[in-house]
Amino acid sequence: MFKALQAAYPDIEVAENPNPGGGGVNQRVVLQSRIAAGDYPDTFQTLGGAELKNYVDSGVLEPLDDLWTELDYASVIPGPLANAVTIDGHPYVVPLNMHIQNILYYNMAVFDELSIEPPTTFAELLAACEAITTARTDMVCLGLGSKEKWGDAFVFDSILLENGGPEYYVNLFKGGVDLSTDEVYRTSLEQFQQLVPYINTDHSSLTWDQAVGLVGSGGAAMTLMGTWAIGAFTKGSNWEPGVDFGAVTFPQSPERILLFHPDAYGMTVQAPHPEATMDWLRVVATPELQIPTDVTQGGLFARTDIDPMEFPYPIRQELQTYVSENPDKLILDQHGSILPAAAQPAYWDIISAFLVEPDVDSAVEATASLMDTFGVAEESAWYSWP
Amino acid sequence: MHVHASLPDFGCKKSSAEVDKAMAVIDTKTQEKKLAVSAQRQERRQSITDILIFLVPLLFFVILLYGTLFWTVYVSFTNWRTIAPNYELTGFRWYNFLINQPRFEVDIVNNLKWLILGVVPTVVIAIFLAYFLELTPFPKVEAYIRTLILYPVAMSFIVTGTVWSWMYEPQRGVINTALRSIGIDSGFRFATNPGTATYWLILIFIWQYLGFSVIITQSSFRTTELQELIEAATMDGASRLRTLFSVIIPNIRAGLLVLVSLLLISTLKVFDIVFIVTNGGPGISTDVLALNMWVTTFQQHLVSAGAGIGVIIFLMAFILVIPYTIYAFRKWFE
Repeated sequence: MFKALQAAYPDIEVAENPNPGGGGVNQRVVLQSRIAAGDYPDTFQTLGGAELKNYVDSGVLEPLDDLWTELDYASVIPGPLANAVTIDGHPYVVPLNMHIQNILYYNMAVFDELSIEPPTTFAELLAACEAITTARTDMVCLGLGSKEKWGDAFVFDSILLENGGPEYYVNLFKGGVDLSTDEVYRTSLEQFQQLVPYINTDHSSLTWDQAVGLVGSGGAAMTLMGTWAIGAFTKGSNWEPGVDFGAVTFPQSPERILLFHPDAYGMTVQAPHPEATMDWLRVVATPELQIPTDVTQGGLFARTDIDPMEFPYPIRQELQTYVSENPDKLILDQHGSILPAAAQPAYWDIISAFLVEPDVDSAVEATASLMDTFGVAEESAWYSWP
Repeated sequence: MHVHASLPDFGCKKSSAEVDKAMAVIDTKTQEKKLAVSAQRQERRQSITDILIFLVPLLFFVILLYGTLFWTVYVSFTNWRTIAPNYELTGFRWYNFLINQPRFEVDIVNNLKWLILGVVPTVVIAIFLAYFLELTPFPKVEAYIRTLILYPVAMSFIVTGTVWSWMYEPQRGVINTALRSIGIDSGFRFATNPGTATYWLILIFIWQYLGFSVIITQSSFRTTELQELIEAATMDGASRLRTLFSVIIPNIRAGLLVLVSLLLISTLKVFDIVFIVTNGGPGISTDVLALNMWVTTFQQHLVSAGAGIGVIIFLMAFILVIPYTIYAFRKWFE
């Protein structure tokens, strides 16, 4: 990734302080301590959405309006991506990619053997599960890893998206839905409950990549996970995309929406080297950086003017093509969330608790009180869609 | 004389053997006196360095421990809720918030479970095991067994937690696979069953701390007084069990005090095992205060609320451990 920077600006020296793993949680711990101690780095990677807003609210990041104008960046990336990193009218980071959350990966051999089409609606998913569990007693239908708590929220997101549609989905996480009278949320919980018998019972002890491994080892027929799972299939299970496993975005009804979050870089207000940092951000915006980085790290290009055929697999080529042609079909997902950062783990707790002890009434009540406690309507007002 | 005597090495003439002798006596006496004076001086100097050697780490300790402690208490009353600090005082606002979170009640119940089930069985089993090891007629076997049960202490909780999550995995874990291979389908879901998950986690804690507890208990057996008492009891014909209950247990308070206090504190602040094996799940069924503190501070960025949980853990330790210590000491000195 830094090779592109070195090529463009050979004078800039990069001091890396990587904190890998854990969905970036460890990195956040270190970053939080450093900022609290006044030891600001020049730049750091963050997600868009609520996490970015948290940094902006803390006054940690410099607005980048001039840079965006200079690069004319808003015109080469999807509108919803620009919205996801623009807070109170100012862009604060330069996104380099987009990860898509709602992808259903499936074992192609099993689907061929049972002549099942990959499901794109909840009804089709249930029917496929029925067929798979009847034919293959050694296999669960939907492999799930909920140990990090968000794996199950991913599945629930897809159900919500189908039942409520994109406007409802955005409105729900902006705290605009009156849950006491709302039927969509209730129905979605009931449908989620219908899925429980088709999910591996040990989901709470598995992480997302272990759930991918479960599909790879033949223990499960499908798993719902983000674009980053492609690497876990190819490296962890030696599975070839389009040969051993297929992928569809789920759901595709009422329309094909992609839930996404970006990785992005910004500049801190007390950056020791502001000039070099601006040069770095210019590089982040270039195809020269985005192509090699996104191809190896998963995710899609932030720029829609890059040829989708730069990606190695048809799965990713197709996703990139769809995004480039339909940039308005993107909505923020669980990671770069619409929900405020403080509310998010509490929301995941509710969904995780529901999955192990399904009780629709108490889940609805808990969600309603969460929206209230964390002032979601006010805190998420910054997000506009499309 | 003094000068003379004090300068024996500067070539004074020795007139006769007698004088020499007398001189020698005086000489040593004076030297003794001198030595005593310089020793006193040295002692004084020594005690100053002693005090310094004692004071520097003490100050370090006080500032580091109590400074951060009071800082945490202070932060818990401020309004620090994002990345950057905000020291505006807001009273009990974040305590109120914490108490109204559904996790909080689960945490308290779970921490109490840990407290009781993590400490009592560990101590009881440790006493019996230690006594058994003391009694065994094969000292070589004893040494092996002791190493064997002490081994888990040498491992970090991260390792233990990872190993035990492999053991517990319901479908492909060690325990259920072993049981299946001998034809038993146990149906145990271990840490994935919300109703019982916490108990399986506590079992890991007991396993890890047992060896350590046995060593402390065993060493408290080995005082001369206690050995004499045991001998007397044996001579009087007391059974081994009777000796354990009537002679040994009442006389190892010092060891038990240390052991119980350490275990109480360890269970109160338990984090690693829960974080590694279940991450608080399924749902929030195995959540504990320390894990909640981590999530609140670093995932939710509610730093003041996180500090509040820290204060609550500290208060629980204070309320539970201090009275126990006072009680145990009183009994001891009776």
